[in-house]
Order: sequence, then structure tokens, then C-alpha cells
Amino acid sequence: MQTQELQLMKRFETDSKWFHENINKLREQNFTGKFVAIANEKPVASNEKIDAVIKTLENEGKNPACIFIEFVYPEGFTLLL
Amino acid sequence: MKIPLQVYEFAGGLRAMAHFLIRAENPHLFGSIQAIVDTGSPTTILGIPDIKRMRVSPLQLKELESRKQPHAYGGGQLKTKILQEAKLKFGEYFECIMPIEIPVDEITECTQPTIIGVDFLIKNKLKLFFDPAKREAYLEGLE
Repeated sequence: MQTQELQLMKRFETDSKWFHENINKLREQNFTGKFVAIANEKPVASNEKIDAVIKTLENEGKNPACIFIEFVYPEGFTLLL
Repeated sequence: MKIPLQVYEFAGGLRAMAHFLIRAENPHLFGSIQAIVDTGSPTTILGIPDIKRMRVSPLQLKELESRKQPHAYGGGQLKTKILQEAKLKFGEYFECIMPIEIPVDEITECTQPTIIGVDFLIKNKLKLFFDPAKREAYLEGLE
């Protein structure tokens, strides 16, 4: 795998880890029910609609395809797959 | 050969999760993905939020083969297209080319994540080790 791709994956995994480890903190900060984009271990955009999050990132010159975006489910909510 | 997975508390339970890069040429598609490894799902299917992140439009999917039967999905039905040659790269550990399914129905407010299904395990001769109590998970080659 090319170095650039490896770096991209590493950054994505780090932001994913940060999201999952700080999910309760995000809930306290009123991100529940929203999609949150995480970059460099901090939230950089959020909205109830993912389209709005994507647009914000694009307006800032970021590529949403490579940025960690996840939905903050309410505490106690169970997603059955 | 082992592909390490992460075990996170997500949407009401502990899940084994994989991170990978996906790439396809027709339609062009590239992005980083977090997926839940779900042995209850026979197929690997991209989540709608990930499709949106990668800016895949319904027009781009027009030429792809449709799955014959829709999936039962969140109490409803979901039609999918089959992307035959998706390249999945799991860091330095593993890469493969395999068919994956892409939802084509626009579902409002859909938050369903990408799922790695049993087809991925069969195609790549992998078994899943998942010990939620120790928060340990990985995929291991059978050969």
C-alpha cells in the first residue's frame, strides 16, 4: 500500500477511535442525533443531515470520502443489523 | 495472516469493526470505510452514509447489475446494485477484489453503517475471532 494511502487510513482509524472513545462527551455536547465529522481527533462539522456535513467539509476544501463521519446515536439506542 | 479488528461500543452493543480503503473504476469510487463485521448478514453492503461521502450518484450506478431480490432492511425493503470489482485494502494486512452491494433506494435519514458479511469471509477464506469480553477481534486466514 502506498505511503499516502497508509497515512490516510491511519488518520481515519485514529479519528474513528477518538469518536468511539469520546461518544459520551459528544452526547454531552449536544451531538446526539447528528452526523459528526471528526478530523485530527476533534469534531469539525455536524448536522442532522449527512448532506449538510458533506457540504460543509467540501466548502472547507476537505474530501468527505476520506474523513470519518458517524452518526451519534442516543444513549440506550440499539441498532439491530 | 491476521487482519486486526477494533471492538467498540456502538449503537447499543459491542461490535467488531474493520477499517479499509475501497476503490473501484467503473463507476469511479474511492474512500475510507468503517464497517461492522456482521456474521448475520450474508452480503457485504455499503451503508448509505458512506455512499454519500464518496459522492456516488444514482446515475453512476445505472449500468451496474441489479440484485434480483431486495434486502429486508430496517423494516422495509432495499434494492441494491452489485459492484463486481471493488478493491478493498485493509492497511498493510490484506487486500482483495470482490463484489459488494450498493443500495440504490434513497432512504431518508438512513444511518445504517457499512456491513462486512459472510460472503467476504467465504470469498477470502477467513474466519472471525471475536471475544467481546476481552474486546479482542480479528480475521484470520484459513490457509
